[in-house]
Amino acid sequence: MRIGVFLRQSGREGINYEAVANYARNLPEVELVREVNERPRPDPLALAEEIRGAGLDRIVLAADCPGRLKPAFTRAMALAGRDPTEVRLASFREHGGGGANLTERAQAIVACATRGVPFSLAAESRLMPVNRATLVIGGGVGGIQAALEIADAGQKVYLVERSGTIGGHMAMFDKTFPTLDCAACILTPKMVAVGQHECIELMTYSEVQQITGEPGAYRATILKKARRVDPKACVSCGVCAEVCPTRVPSEFDCGIAERKAVYMPFPQAVPNVYLIDETQCTYVQSGGKRCGACAKKCPKGCINLDQRDETIEVEVGNIVLAVGYDMLDASKIAAFGYGKLPNVLTSLEFERLTNASGPTGGRIVTKTRQFNKRRKVEEWVLSADGEPPRSVAIIHCVGSRDARYNSYCSRVCCMYSLKFAHLVKEKLEGAPCYEFYIDMRAFGKGYEEFAERIKAEGTFVVRGRTAAVIERDGQMYVKGEDMVHDSVVEFPVDMVILAVGLVPAAGTRRLAEMLRVPVDRDGWLQELDYNGDPTETERGGVFVAGACHAPKDIPDTVAQASAVAAGVLKSISRGKTLGSRADLDLSTIEARARTLRLA
Amino acid sequence: MAIRVNPKLIDEIERYGAEDVSNCYHCGNCSAVCPHSKDPFVFPRRSMRMLQMGLESKLLSSLEPWLCYYCGQCSEQCPREAEPGETMMSLRRWLTSRYDFTGISRLFYRSWKAEVVAVIVLAILTGLGFAFYGLSQGDIRVYDGPGAFLPSARVHLFDWGMAAVLTLLLAVNSVRMWWFTVGSRKDIAVPLLSYLKGVVTLPFHFFTQKRYAQCGEKGPWLLHLALMLSYVVMFTLIMFFLHEVQAGPQINWSVHAFGYAASAGLIGATILMLRGRVKKTRPGTKHSHETDWIFLVLLLYVGTTGVVQHVLHRTGFELAANVAYLAHMMGVVPMLVLEVPFGKWSHLAYRPLAMFFSELVADGLRARAGAAQQAGVPGAQPARVF
Repeated sequence: MRIGVFLRQSGREGINYEAVANYARNLPEVELVREVNERPRPDPLALAEEIRGAGLDRIVLAADCPGRLKPAFTRAMALAGRDPTEVRLASFREHGGGGANLTERAQAIVACATRGVPFSLAAESRLMPVNRATLVIGGGVGGIQAALEIADAGQKVYLVERSGTIGGHMAMFDKTFPTLDCAACILTPKMVAVGQHECIELMTYSEVQQITGEPGAYRATILKKARRVDPKACVSCGVCAEVCPTRVPSEFDCGIAERKAVYMPFPQAVPNVYLIDETQCTYVQSGGKRCGACAKKCPKGCINLDQRDETIEVEVGNIVLAVGYDMLDASKIAAFGYGKLPNVLTSLEFERLTNASGPTGGRIVTKTRQFNKRRKVEEWVLSADGEPPRSVAIIHCVGSRDARYNSYCSRVCCMYSLKFAHLVKEKLEGAPCYEFYIDMRAFGKGYEEFAERIKAEGTFVVRGRTAAVIERDGQMYVKGEDMVHDSVVEFPVDMVILAVGLVPAAGTRRLAEMLRVPVDRDGWLQELDYNGDPTETERGGVFVAGACHAPKDIPDTVAQASAVAAGVLKSISRGKTLGSRADLDLSTIEARARTLRLA
Repeated sequence: MAIRVNPKLIDEIERYGAEDVSNCYHCGNCSAVCPHSKDPFVFPRRSMRMLQMGLESKLLSSLEPWLCYYCGQCSEQCPREAEPGETMMSLRRWLTSRYDFTGISRLFYRSWKAEVVAVIVLAILTGLGFAFYGLSQGDIRVYDGPGAFLPSARVHLFDWGMAAVLTLLLAVNSVRMWWFTVGSRKDIAVPLLSYLKGVVTLPFHFFTQKRYAQCGEKGPWLLHLALMLSYVVMFTLIMFFLHEVQAGPQINWSVHAFGYAASAGLIGATILMLRGRVKKTRPGTKHSHETDWIFLVLLLYVGTTGVVQHVLHRTGFELAANVAYLAHMMGVVPMLVLEVPFGKWSHLAYRPLAMFFSELVADGLRARAGAAQQAGVPGAQPARVF
């Protein structure tokens, strides 16, 4: 067999394309190695000529996403009278080529493709004994689901959550799409189940500091930050928060409401106990000299203001990463005026605003100007007696599908924006609601029907991205092209909701480096194989669930978390787990590819 | 009527400088940020769409590219980096080549080498012609008066002849532009009154370039206005007062003052424009087609040689002044002959005409909408395809 390798450079850092080309030249049966580009598009006729000239019977396309080149080569093979199915793809990106030694990985992928052997088969790692306990990092809906599935099977789970409660973003939501179920009604039973499960050891307000060991036998060092409230004794009476003098913006309410320095993130928090924010607490900050009111007033005497952080170590066999996402900082995008115009809200802020448990009791209102006596400044605040907006605009794709911010689609924004339109229509009778979208990505079960329903409810769905939110004489306007009616429109609105895109959660990269799990170019955790192993990673026994892997909605996150649980339980029941693919060197994969070909 | 699709249209336009047309995913951001994009001329997204769909005839009849002054806000804010501003620029080049019936424009825009060769050949021919003529009837040591190498009266005649030919060429191309954009459009009938109304605005647009000023930043407009006005002054001096301009060696301030101001304007503006293109100071100067460079370099050359021959004459170096004059003509003739009817300079006609024609088209569309409304067609609106 005579093989031609066509290599496309995509400028990815870490791959030495020269070295890959040289390596490919020395592979058996490889007759031709050359560079190929996507633009100008390869001409099948010229390629056929080349294929005939070199007498090639197999083509290997080596690149990130080489599939885009495939049609031209398939046609060229057919034109040259060769077998058009002999166009093999060596996909650097898809085959998890995000690890430490990218060049060697790329070489191994090319070697497998020239032999016609699936890379994932050749790169199967050896089996290692597994510890039956599992560490789940992240207590959002993904982490909760994975922990529950594993624990329900009777296996030990350590669930570590950075904030004071589990629940994650989903706990902040009002409704879920497309069913318009109450998010809390679905999530809180699961949260309670986690809190009460005898197989789950829940560690909130804790962070994973270090992980050592190898697949099947990891040792994690966990920092349990001082809560300063004894969770066993606290009955969440709330007296401490009543007397606490320090008010700070509430993270759970996205800063549109305030909390005290001693607080419970929200009433349904699990564990349902208070904690003290040491960065804001007067007593802690003054080194114990001032305040301390909460400890004096606590009827149960469960506040220990001098409690210290502690670290514990756990030994686990598998690790589930479910650390979720953050929202893109909307103030980066000057054109939309977030941070300058008071009534431009991010989607998460609107979730809290429209949530019945939110600061306005679910009333959708615009901000009002109030004098803050404590700080002696005029402020824009949301209060339940504010004016409802007369019209609302929702802007899709804020920072997503945009070469300047995130080039990827954040996947959930179209649907939650439609949900917002429904809530606006439901709560504000007669108020026009404009949705500015580029493409409506209603891809899931019942999503398209939901989109149709929202349109039927009278939302003005404008095909065209908003270019700017401007204020003129105290009135906000959104300006955009209405493509369907071929004109530039400018609508007066009182509230603008930005459908802000998703970005990897802060600390994802640090966690990835600690675990030697690769991240993709956007910073999301990289799965082992895009199609074949979307829950595992390069590192044996380390799984990804939910939005830390890629932007994902709730159903997909829950499904992936359950799939992760299946993977974990598989390794526990067979007593062994796969080692890290990252530990395989080139010669091992080569050798295996040879045997596979003979077999 | 069936619409013909040219699937190679993007490839064609890419030869005129456009790069990333196929990146566009039609979010409409560009059309919304553009200060000129107003009903019924909503652009640049529409033009991007027509390009992607290969609607050559629609593009040929579109005036939008001429309504764009390339402030570059569209390109700066494009989420796909599809460079809509540069696409509009390339469309202007393409339209110029389509308005031109000789095909010369098309050749130059697609091959800068051909343009350079043409410039050089024409420069040599001009040089030889003027040198031969000058030597045959005068003395190269005499700049002006009896026995002059290039007597102003003769040069004047030559100027008028050249101006007549170039104006004719440009006029034919302008009529073709009218035909493509207004005349051939079957869907609208432009009321005659609109022509009368619109024609009044032509000189206004020509001399103020008011629309350019609406782009936001005033700098590029002022620079362009300075260049244009300097050129108009210089043109007037040469076409009507060449004798006075060339007379000397005393400085006749009542004439020469204008010449100095215009020269300073021409050279200064050209240098600033070149600097902008070298430094890529704003989106509009980031992408420079080869023809942009040729145009500006020629302009700088002509301006500089003009000043040099003038200074040499005033300082008494008549021989050197004549040589510089010859060199000056070797720049002027190719620049005018190639750039005015076939090149970048043709926009001196197409820009104001486009303003005029766009008012005609808008009037036609309004008249049609009005008629449809009277006829009681429900939801009567101009046909909106994209």
